[in-house]
Amino acid sequence: MSGPSTDSAAVAPAPRPGVTLRPARRGGLRPRVDGNPLEPYLYLLPHAVLFFVFIVYPVGFAIYVSLHRWNILSDNQPFVGAEFYTRLLTPGTPQFTFFWKTMGNTALFTVITTPLLIVCALGLALLLHKPIPGRSFFRAVFFLPTILSVSVMGLLWKWMFENRTGLVNVVLDMIPFTEPVAFLTTIGLAWIPIIVGTVWWTVGFNMILYSAALAAIPQAYYEAAAIDGAGAWAKFRYVTWPQLNPVTLFAAVTTTIASFQLFGQPHVMTAGGPLRTTQSVMMFVTEEAFTRFQFSSAAAMSLLFGVLLLVVTGFQFRLTLRDLGRGRA
Amino acid sequence: MRRLLTFKTLLVGMALALGGAALAQVQITYWHGFTGPDLPVMEGLVAEFNATHPDIVVTAEPIPWGNLFQQLEPAVAAGQAPDVVALNEDVITGFILRGAVAEMTPDMLAAADVQADRFFPSLWETGVVDGKVYGVPVHSVMLVMYYNKDLFEAAGLDPEDPPSNREEFLAAAEALTVDANGNHPGDEGFDPSSLQTYAVGIPTPWMGGTIAYAVAAQNGVTFVGSADESYAPNFDSEAAQEAVQFLVDIGAEHHFGPTDATEGSEIDAFRQGAAAMNFNGVWMLSQYRDAGLNFGVAAFPQLGTERPATWGGSSHLVLPVQRNGDPAEMEAAMTFIGWMTQPEQNLEWTSAGGLPTQPEVATSPEYAENPMSALAEAMSNTYVLTGFPFLAQFRGAWDAAFEAALHGTAADQALTQGVGEASAAIQEGLLSLP
Repeated sequence: MSGPSTDSAAVAPAPRPGVTLRPARRGGLRPRVDGNPLEPYLYLLPHAVLFFVFIVYPVGFAIYVSLHRWNILSDNQPFVGAEFYTRLLTPGTPQFTFFWKTMGNTALFTVITTPLLIVCALGLALLLHKPIPGRSFFRAVFFLPTILSVSVMGLLWKWMFENRTGLVNVVLDMIPFTEPVAFLTTIGLAWIPIIVGTVWWTVGFNMILYSAALAAIPQAYYEAAAIDGAGAWAKFRYVTWPQLNPVTLFAAVTTTIASFQLFGQPHVMTAGGPLRTTQSVMMFVTEEAFTRFQFSSAAAMSLLFGVLLLVVTGFQFRLTLRDLGRGRA
Repeated sequence: MRRLLTFKTLLVGMALALGGAALAQVQITYWHGFTGPDLPVMEGLVAEFNATHPDIVVTAEPIPWGNLFQQLEPAVAAGQAPDVVALNEDVITGFILRGAVAEMTPDMLAAADVQADRFFPSLWETGVVDGKVYGVPVHSVMLVMYYNKDLFEAAGLDPEDPPSNREEFLAAAEALTVDANGNHPGDEGFDPSSLQTYAVGIPTPWMGGTIAYAVAAQNGVTFVGSADESYAPNFDSEAAQEAVQFLVDIGAEHHFGPTDATEGSEIDAFRQGAAAMNFNGVWMLSQYRDAGLNFGVAAFPQLGTERPATWGGSSHLVLPVQRNGDPAEMEAAMTFIGWMTQPEQNLEWTSAGGLPTQPEVATSPEYAENPMSALAEAMSNTYVLTGFPFLAQFRGAWDAAFEAALHGTAADQALTQGVGEASAAIQEGLLSLP
């Protein structure tokens, strides 16, 4: 087969009069290359290899698995088409019931945690932006939990919120007029240890992002605002916040994705209980694959989940880009 | 240059020496999940085997159980399976039926000096499917009752005679439960919200499901139908409802303990001397001993109505299927399995907290030192949840049903729902078997 350009030239209809064929493009697909035309692709190659081996191939294989009744040791892997997908969309099947229930749990967690992690991180960064003594020390203190593994962090907060015997309940028992609360086994309240623990664990990362962004805002903006008579709130609202927008977008997107992938915290603290109300969708997919050995069903679920996550992230991008004034509204 | 040459010569020499050694010895690998305090004991046993068998070198790889179960089938499919693997009672049948485990023929067992009648029958049966042997028991655990002797004495109970049936349990529980004003359940003015000490809390979810399983087994419940009945779950029977209701009532009706217990809060409460009894596995022994408690261990009491029973678990040594099997390696693997499951090795293994796998060890004078030796009779009453491939499907639904009942759903409704969930999941599982 000949190269694409000759090919299209051969097939292309005759140009209509008045229409310029191939207008000169700035920075098109063929940038100016002085050396070997392959050079840019060689720079891309290392990442491309990793990307194909660890992303494209596994996703492709997962699609294959989800369309067959797949068993690693079986000689025949019968093709079942979209059976595992339709089951996820048919009310009444266990997959439908639990996938969407755990999907709802995960969404609830994300909706609560993401704004908290943005607001708390911004608050801490603003507090620690002021030149107070021991600033680096406090930055380190708030950042340190980030380096803990999820099992350490999970056990820690499970002990803190343990029914009856955890520190929180011992304190509640000592204070007059408060009663111990069964955090780990009460529907709804079981989210409190998970959310508090998650915020404590991950807020430091967003805080560092905001700290860096705050330091990068030119002081001149604040001086100009002060001359215009802006108070502290107006400075924040009209200078700081818009200047932080790109970081907020980045933090919101990464935090949302991380929150949707919730797994370790409820796994360690509540095991998904009470009554599966804190089971995340990733926990359910793992259970389907590695406890029940239903790999095809689990592959279908994780692919559907991946698509939903893409939709959410795309939506988020659009919303925030519009806010930034750079996207198509 | 000269130095490089010398170095090369040295390397070649080393390679030859190693190669020579490898020719005389069979190298085999062994995966197991004993990664807790039992790890040094298992490593000691493997070292002892290597020392006494110069022609075989066993390399043991401790891998947490969950990871081990995930890796085994891919390893078998890739022809990279280890020669020996330890599998637990709740997954072994699934691995056998999915074709990951090789049969041990009577000749192989005889050559390795493994006799079926040496082991507790229920343990041995766990490694058998359709009359073919796939696994040899190496480790055994069960649900037991720990009790605080000081609290028993304070309540006027005999600390050497803990309750062993429902009547005794209810009487003892009433005596052991005291509120802040010194009242017992049933006394006028008893306040269940301010328990000073209490009998026992029934937790959620896994440990609660384990306790409920034991009591239901005592009521004669079989949980799941036979293979001919497509493993149809049947744990919504009246006997199962009775067992579940009894356990729910311990907290909700009798106030013999908190209604919001977790396994963790019950362990804490027992260690702190607030709970007089604790239902948990034999593996808790060393932790309670280290807490400096004056406590005893007894068989799980018969809270059900039909027969004594308790939950049991076990680990079994199996031969994974090899793509390119080397007969010498398989023979070495069988030699290792045979040696590891001999009474002497089993006795040594019990020092790590496991129970004997064979009556001969359970009744031996050397084992009498072990506090668990008092439970020899209970060992023959364990009902091991095994023998069908969809255990996780059943167990998840059972635990959820019991949790729902503890949270206030009527027992019959919770169990009916659980049976529905389990049968849908098991039917799908059946389709996925090769």
